[in-house]
Amino acid sequence: MTEPAQLNTDNTVNDEAVTAFETSGPSPTSDCKGFEVRHLVKQYANADKPVLNDISFKVEHGTVLVVLGPSGSGKSTLLRTIAGLEPIQGGTISINDQVIDEGRPGTEKAGRSNRSSALRTRIGMVFQSYDLFPNKTVLGNITMAPLLVQKRDKAQVEAEALKLLDRVGLADRKDAWPHELSGGQRQRVAICRALILHPEVLLLDEITAALDPEMVREVLDVVLELAKAGQTMLIVTHEMQFARAIADHVILLDGGHIVEESHDAHAFFAHPQTERARQFLHTFEFE
Amino acid sequence: MVFDWSFVARYAPFFVNGTLMTLFISVFGILLAIVVGLVCAGIEIARVPVLRQIVRIYIELSRNTPLLVQLYFLYFGLPKLGVVWSAETCAIVGLGFLGGSYMAEAMRGGLEAVPKVQRENAYVLGLTPMQSITHVVMPQAISTAIPGIVANVIFLFKESSVVSAIALADVMYMAKDLIGMYYSTYESLFMLVVAYLVILLPISVLGTWLEGRFDYARR
Repeated sequence: MTEPAQLNTDNTVNDEAVTAFETSGPSPTSDCKGFEVRHLVKQYANADKPVLNDISFKVEHGTVLVVLGPSGSGKSTLLRTIAGLEPIQGGTISINDQVIDEGRPGTEKAGRSNRSSALRTRIGMVFQSYDLFPNKTVLGNITMAPLLVQKRDKAQVEAEALKLLDRVGLADRKDAWPHELSGGQRQRVAICRALILHPEVLLLDEITAALDPEMVREVLDVVLELAKAGQTMLIVTHEMQFARAIADHVILLDGGHIVEESHDAHAFFAHPQTERARQFLHTFEFE
Repeated sequence: MVFDWSFVARYAPFFVNGTLMTLFISVFGILLAIVVGLVCAGIEIARVPVLRQIVRIYIELSRNTPLLVQLYFLYFGLPKLGVVWSAETCAIVGLGFLGGSYMAEAMRGGLEAVPKVQRENAYVLGLTPMQSITHVVMPQAISTAIPGIVANVIFLFKESSVVSAIALADVMYMAKDLIGMYYSTYESLFMLVVAYLVILLPISVLGTWLEGRFDYARR
């Protein structure tokens, strides 16, 4: 496995992190283009206007997109449509130019996209509520999908799971039950559970929003390290300092539209171009 | 009146036979109830049209009529319609009919208690709908439903005493028979209580163990 293409050139890659997080997954090919959403429309059955209207953006492989926006702006819905949890009514979602989901009108009431099991494993997701499977141990949670879905070798999967756990500082908790862990620990295990499938894109939906403040840091540090290791990620967060530190690319959603997009996160936070973005960022500032 | 231990010794074998009959009827009746409950809970959770309405009607009908009436219908009513079942069959079907609705409600409660995000996690991880049910939803649903299911099992064992009314020689029937023949009220009731305790105490202990074994989702 070669190192993932590093498109952000300003940081030195932590080799250890690369080997720990990027293992023998589906290797990005030379014509690898990353992840793309084009003209995405999400409409619910009884709503008068779409929740997401004509959303287009592209995330280069190995970079991090942070999605910001007030509540109700459609951030979580966006991640859910990308994960296949909600069917889309217009546009396309593609990975490396391969379309994995296509808008189909008439699916407003449907619960899920009809994406195949194999396609789903290419996009990982961690949710806000730190829900591990309570009927499985930490190790059981992480190894379940690779064993059931990818039919990988048990010994190899367990070895990899232990390596991931070690990386997030939880190797000694491999046999613990979820109820024995703190919220922050559960979120770190949930990240391992997503990573072991070698997702080409990892979606993080406000993963620290339900945590006690002291536990936020331990989770965000893991995510920062992942970013350094070249994991492509789409992150919805309300932690602005973290967003500024990790983003290669920012979009601000409001009312189902992208109101501002920037490929220079520092510039976006320092000098937002639109009035709406200024307003939004201002709500996080205290003199 | 003096408690007559020699009577107990003499007629204990009758109670053993009656206990075996109670066990036979109850075990098969409860198994039927569990199957009926699973099917009904599945139909309700999957919101299958038409079948769902039928299940609701069945549950209301089953829970709001006494087992005795259900048994009379099966044993005395059905032959008028040309269906003649043995007393054993009537008893098992009757217990299954009554217990099925109780089991369905306990199982539905368990299934509904599994948070939606659990299934979403399973979906995102690539699990097929079947794998999601067997590896994620069912284990957690069982965990929540077990106390209710165990309570229903015990309830149905006790409810089986009603089958004596259709001339099945269960343990209740033995007690009534002996009281009628010999006025041995104390001795017979004593043996009856012992017989039910012998059946139900181990089940109660087993139930408590099961609740402990499956309690991960409630912690």
